[in-house]
Amino acid sequence: MSHMMHPNKLTRHYWVWPIAWYLFLGGLGGGTLFATTMLQTCGHAICELLGLGDYSGVVAQMFGPALALATFAGVVFLGVGSALLIFELGQWKNFIRVWIASTSIMKWGATFLVLAMVFGFVEFLFFLPPQWNLFWYQWIWLRDVCTALAGLFGFCVAFYTGCLLGTQKSKPFWNTPLLPVLFTVSAVSTATALVTILVGLWPAIDGETPFALQIANQIASPDYANQVVVMVIATVTGGITEVMHKADAVMVILEIILLLVYIICMRASGNLTAKRIAQTWISGSKSLLFWGGMLIVGLGVPLWLYLSEVPNAGLIAPVLILASGLLLRFLVLYSDGRQLIPGEEAYYAKLPKGNEEFLQPWKKPY
Amino acid sequence: MTRYAMVIDKRRCIGCQSCTVACRTWNNLPMDIIYNPVVSEGVQGKWPNVHQTFTPLLCNHCQNPPCVICCPCKATFQDDDGIVWVDPNKCMGCKFCVQNCPYGARDVSAAPEEGFARKCTFCKDRVRTAELPPDQRPEGWKPEDALPYCVNTCHQKARIFGDLDDPDSEVSKLVNGNTTTRLFTELGTDPQVYYIEENGGSVK
Repeated sequence: MSHMMHPNKLTRHYWVWPIAWYLFLGGLGGGTLFATTMLQTCGHAICELLGLGDYSGVVAQMFGPALALATFAGVVFLGVGSALLIFELGQWKNFIRVWIASTSIMKWGATFLVLAMVFGFVEFLFFLPPQWNLFWYQWIWLRDVCTALAGLFGFCVAFYTGCLLGTQKSKPFWNTPLLPVLFTVSAVSTATALVTILVGLWPAIDGETPFALQIANQIASPDYANQVVVMVIATVTGGITEVMHKADAVMVILEIILLLVYIICMRASGNLTAKRIAQTWISGSKSLLFWGGMLIVGLGVPLWLYLSEVPNAGLIAPVLILASGLLLRFLVLYSDGRQLIPGEEAYYAKLPKGNEEFLQPWKKPY
Repeated sequence: MTRYAMVIDKRRCIGCQSCTVACRTWNNLPMDIIYNPVVSEGVQGKWPNVHQTFTPLLCNHCQNPPCVICCPCKATFQDDDGIVWVDPNKCMGCKFCVQNCPYGARDVSAAPEEGFARKCTFCKDRVRTAELPPDQRPEGWKPEDALPYCVNTCHQKARIFGDLDDPDSEVSKLVNGNTTTRLFTELGTDPQVYYIEENGGSVK
């Protein structure tokens, strides 16, 4: 059978596209929860920075709802990433066993994933329309606790995706402390890009948010309440977007520096496998994707768009950054060479690659 | 205590791949799985001073196995005698151990019904028959039946298996009496397959 024929284990990638997508979505989802939590807790500083006025009352209350869709997206992306992980398993029915051994870093990753999803989802439940009068609206403390914990565990997930690869000492190109740092910066960068796209969309679609309308009703007559809400949403959304564009530009600069440092260090590594793989990034099979895709189109162009304040940069730049985040995960995941034992390469190259003719007689019945 | 280990005498190996075939037969391996390839860098040197060495590979049954620590399912075990093995019923097939093994000793078949990690077990089903009371051993049991099948098959006697903690065992004498090398010791795995190099495998 053709699916049985993969004898060259040196060229076979044991972790393939679902894992690359998971690394991207885990970083993106976790980073988004982290970013939304940070924005909500740093609302006062943002208001001061941008001169949005007093961070209390309606402006403060609008910060959460403006980020509702981003929070939801963060949870969904983590869920999709987890589903891809399970899909990739050889025996998916045993997936619950991931929590058995405390020594495995994978167990901690699964725990962070579930906790971030649960707390992020509960946080999102508070952004549902107020007219539904759901009983948990009164437990504001629960919202605040879940917001804090979703951010914490979201960051853990983003950091963990790098640790999952970085702790493998059999893979010289991955086994460096720089990889978790690079993945975390990329995760926060892509999450920031996502938030700039999604900020304010939920209240705009909904028109009414749990807190916004109530507060607007208090400070304006009912006729003008909706207008006040729209105005405040626009102010908060614009403020968050402005801050996020600046933050994303900083993250992109940091990511470019980290990527270059990573490749330079790997190229200069004493390990021949790491050196060989780094060379494929610099001038080999992955060089076009690295220089053209990652550095120029994925990071350089968005940075230029952010800094030059080109019209529509708010949409194009984040999309490019998201694409570069996915490309980074693919490039790294497929750089999974292990240090070879002398003679191994020649041995596996000699093995049959498919259903060679000499195997055919075995298929005939006796 | 028993600590099983293997010595591979590269002075004797001729690269016939009998051990590779024997292993596949005994363990009934799928088409795409090889536990113990015999690799070579080819003919070295310049005529007439040429030589070729062969390196039989297998799981090193490390004292500090990275594949056991990383397994989230506790599907991989290291027994007191050092043998590292996988319980396929407990494995979820995440391939984390395959990625973590520096020796490439683990594999997962591409066959859909075989989605679990697998590896050389030092033929523990054979080896442990020696520990059974005589009446519980298989009929016609001989002491060589308690050796891994690759060791039993090697007509060059290049593979030697035994208890490293027993000072009278052959592996113990070979390891202590010869200069041996091990693979990737710098990674801290403490591998338990010792190679006596063809050039340099001198008696201490």
